[in-house]
Amino acid sequence: MNELSLFDLPRLFSYQFFQHALLGGTIAALVCAWVGLFLILRKEAMIGDGIAHTAFGGIALGLLLGINPLLSALAVSILAVLGISYMRKKEMAQSDAAIAVMLALGFSAGLIIISLAGGFNVELFSYLFGSILTIDRSDLLIVAVLGISTALFLGMFYKEILSITFDEEASRLMGLPVTTLSLAFNVLVALTIVLSIKVIGMILVVAILVLPGLAALQLKLSFKRTVCAAMGFGVFSMVTGISLSAIYDVAASGIIVFTAAGVFLFAAAYRRLG
Amino acid sequence: MKTPVIEVKDLSVRRGNEMVIKDATFTISRGDYVGIVGPNGGGKTSLLLTLLGIIPLERGTIRLFGKDISSFSQWERIAYVSQDATNFDVNFPLTVRELVSLGRIRRNLIGRKLRKDDWNAVDETLRFMGIENIAHRRIGELSGGQKQRVFVAKALVRNPDIIFLDEPVTGVDAETQEKFYKKLSDLNITRGTTIMIVSHDLAAVFCRMSKVMCVNREVHMADITEELEPDEILKKVYGEHFHFVFHRHQCSGVFEHE
Repeated sequence: MNELSLFDLPRLFSYQFFQHALLGGTIAALVCAWVGLFLILRKEAMIGDGIAHTAFGGIALGLLLGINPLLSALAVSILAVLGISYMRKKEMAQSDAAIAVMLALGFSAGLIIISLAGGFNVELFSYLFGSILTIDRSDLLIVAVLGISTALFLGMFYKEILSITFDEEASRLMGLPVTTLSLAFNVLVALTIVLSIKVIGMILVVAILVLPGLAALQLKLSFKRTVCAAMGFGVFSMVTGISLSAIYDVAASGIIVFTAAGVFLFAAAYRRLG
Repeated sequence: MKTPVIEVKDLSVRRGNEMVIKDATFTISRGDYVGIVGPNGGGKTSLLLTLLGIIPLERGTIRLFGKDISSFSQWERIAYVSQDATNFDVNFPLTVRELVSLGRIRRNLIGRKLRKDDWNAVDETLRFMGIENIAHRRIGELSGGQKQRVFVAKALVRNPDIIFLDEPVTGVDAETQEKFYKKLSDLNITRGTTIMIVSHDLAAVFCRMSKVMCVNREVHMADITEELEPDEILKKVYGEHFHFVFHRHQCSGVFEHE
C-alpha cells in the first residue's frame, strides 16, 4: 500500500474494502455532523466523549462473550445515557459530573473485563482508534442500519429538537415533551457514537462529532444551511482521510481528524478575514 | 356581552413558603387588552404562569374558554412570550423565518412536517408584524425592537386567541416601545386577540389598553374609562405614597406620530 500515490486513487475505487470504507465513513460523517451540531448548540459536546469512553466497557464485553462488540457497545452506551439522565433528574449530579461518573464506570468495567480475559490485543486496538479500511459487511450493515435510523428520527423530529435546543423553557410552555425529547436525542447520540467507533475509534469520535459543526457555525448561515455545511465538511474530512490513509498507509482516524481540524481553522480564518 | 375567556375565582398561588397571589377573582373577556402592573416581586409573572398551568394553584378555580384548567387541553389557543425570550445565544444559527416557523409546532402533533399552509402562516405573520424585510436575517444580528417583534411573531403564528406578554419592552428606546404598543393595538383590533401584557409603562397602559390589572399579592382590575382615576387603583398595589400624574389628553401627545 505504501508504494501508491495520489494517481492510484481512481484504481482504489474498484476495491471492495475501499468501497466499504467510503460508504461506512460517509454514513458516519453525515450523521455525526448533524447530531454533533445539535450537541454543540446544546452545549453538551462532552456527553459525546463520555458516552464514547463508556462504550469501551461494551466493546470489551462483546469481545469476551463472542458477540459483535458494536452491539454490546450500543447496549452499554444506551444504559450510560439513561444513567446520566437519571442522575440529572434525581439531582444526584450535575450534567458534567454525571458524564464523568458514567465515563469512569464504563472505562473501568472495560479494564476489568480485559484483565479477566487476558487481553484482546489488536482487535480491541481497532475499536479504540478505528479501523475503517478493515470494515466488513456485518459492521457495514450495523453502521447503515444505525445511520439510517438516526437520520430518519432526526429528519422527523429536528424541529422539535431545534426548539428545545434553542429555548427549553419556551418549548416546555408550548407543551413539548422536553424531557422525553432530550432523552431520545441522547439515545441518538449513543447510536451515532457506536456507528462511528469502527470508523474513527472511540477516542477520537468526539472530534468528528464536533469539528464539522463548529466549522459550519463560523460561516454564520441559516440553520438549514449550517446543517448542510457541517455535513459537507464532515464528508470531505472523511473521504480525504480514508483516501490518504489508503494511499500512504497511515492511521485513517488521525488524518480524518486532522483534515476536520484544518477545515475548522480555515472556516474560522475565513470568518475573521472575510 | 363579551364572551369570557379566562374566569378566575378565589385564586391563591404559593411558591415555596410564600403566598404570591391571594384570593384573586377576575374575568377576562374575548378582545380585552389588559395591562398588568405592580411592583417587582408582586406576583405578576407567577399569575401568568398559573394561568398557563405551569404553576399549580393552591386554592380557587381557573376556567379557560369555559373549561376548568385541570381538564383544559387546547393550549395552542394561548401563547406566551417570556421576559427572557430575547436573551439568547447571539451565535445561534437561526434566521427570523426559521425561528418563527418553530411556533407552528403543535404539542399533540410532534414530528409533523411543516406544510405549505404553515409557511404561508409564517410569511403572513412576518408581514403583519412588519418584519418581512428581515425574514432571512440571523436572529443574533437584530436590534432590541426587532427581536421583540420576532418573538411576538413566533407566538402569533399559531393564531392564538390569547397572548400573554411578560415585560416585552424592557431595555428598548421609547420610540420602539410606542411602535410595539401600536402593533399590539392593531392585533387586538384587527384579529380580536385577547392580550395580557405585563408592563411598567403606566402611560402606555392607560392610553392603549382596555383594562388595567394591578397585582401585588392581591389582584385589582378595572376598566380603563374616562371616569377611572388611575391614581386610586394604583395606590392599592404601590401604596398610599404613590402618585401617578396622568391626564387623558397626554395620550394624544404620546402617540401623535401615528
